[in-house]
Amino acid sequence: MKIAIISLIIVIGIFIFVIESVRRGILETKYSIIWILTCLGIGILSANSSLINKIADVLNVYYAPSILFLFGMLFLIIVVFDLTRRISKMNQQLVTLTQEYAILKQKYEEKGQHQQ
Amino acid sequence: MNKVLIIVPAYNEEEAISNTLYSLLHLKNEHPSLDICVINDGSKDQTSKIVKRFKDVILIDLPYNLGIGGAVQTGYQYAYRHNYDIAIQFDADGQHDANSLQRLIHPLQKDEADMVVGSRFLKKTDYKGAFSRRVGIYYFTLLLRSLAGQTFTDPTSGYRAINHKVIKIFANTYPKDYPEPEVLIHLSRKGLRIQEITVNMTNRQGGHSSITPFKSIYYMFKVTLSIVIQRIVKE
Repeated sequence: MKIAIISLIIVIGIFIFVIESVRRGILETKYSIIWILTCLGIGILSANSSLINKIADVLNVYYAPSILFLFGMLFLIIVVFDLTRRISKMNQQLVTLTQEYAILKQKYEEKGQHQQ
Repeated sequence: MNKVLIIVPAYNEEEAISNTLYSLLHLKNEHPSLDICVINDGSKDQTSKIVKRFKDVILIDLPYNLGIGGAVQTGYQYAYRHNYDIAIQFDADGQHDANSLQRLIHPLQKDEADMVVGSRFLKKTDYKGAFSRRVGIYYFTLLLRSLAGQTFTDPTSGYRAINHKVIKIFANTYPKDYPEPEVLIHLSRKGLRIQEITVNMTNRQGGHSSITPFKSIYYMFKVTLSIVIQRIVKE
């Protein structure tokens, strides 16, 4: 189960990176939750080969470590979808802000003209 | 006459905007309660500079290109804040006929409609559009008829007038790109009255259409999806 060991090392690496990013204020705490949970989940799966074998047995998977890939990919899909949702929301906020700015600027310049 | 705001969204329209504004200012001379507001949607050409020369025209400069929906909505927000009774969307490229404006707002003043759309196809007009464009427009007519239960002969027309009630709605929510057909189902779902009247439209007087062949496929797909989704969302 070499892949499981590599996977565990990578997961621990990512985990440290996530915690360090939060500590330095680069990543907001609320966005780190999903990463921490996944690191824990994949970490437990990687470290525990009997658990993987059991799940593989139940799901009729012949090559047990591919369960890691399955969970990894599911996680990625969730994160990417979450990101597109956040981008949509930010885009909306940006448009509103831009409109507000343009209207205020017009008002400001109109006032400037009256004073001249 | 009520307080009326004409919203002219403009993106790279340096060739046509002057003539459009002259024809609108001509109308303003007759009806002083009419205001003209150009939304410069982050144009890369001289549009903003040209409009600045017109002292009686309100100019709102967007710092970057928001797209037609975002630009027009800026105008509706301006109309809402300054308490206009009626807002009219008017294209900068000279396709719309300023002489139809009175007829366009007439149903609003009589409170017969909440939105009036200027249609090229209600009766036979001089409009000469490409065949593919007509087919596209007819497709939206059929789609809207089956989903909104009302026939709009010209659902993509950007020549439209709305009353204060709809100004308030649009200031809050307005679709971002290719908003025209989508807005119709949005309003009809809210139980608002939409009327069409016949107007003449000419082909654009300069500048370039923003819709390329590739974009038109995206256009059809995006608008279809939005209309279908509008139909199934809960009010």
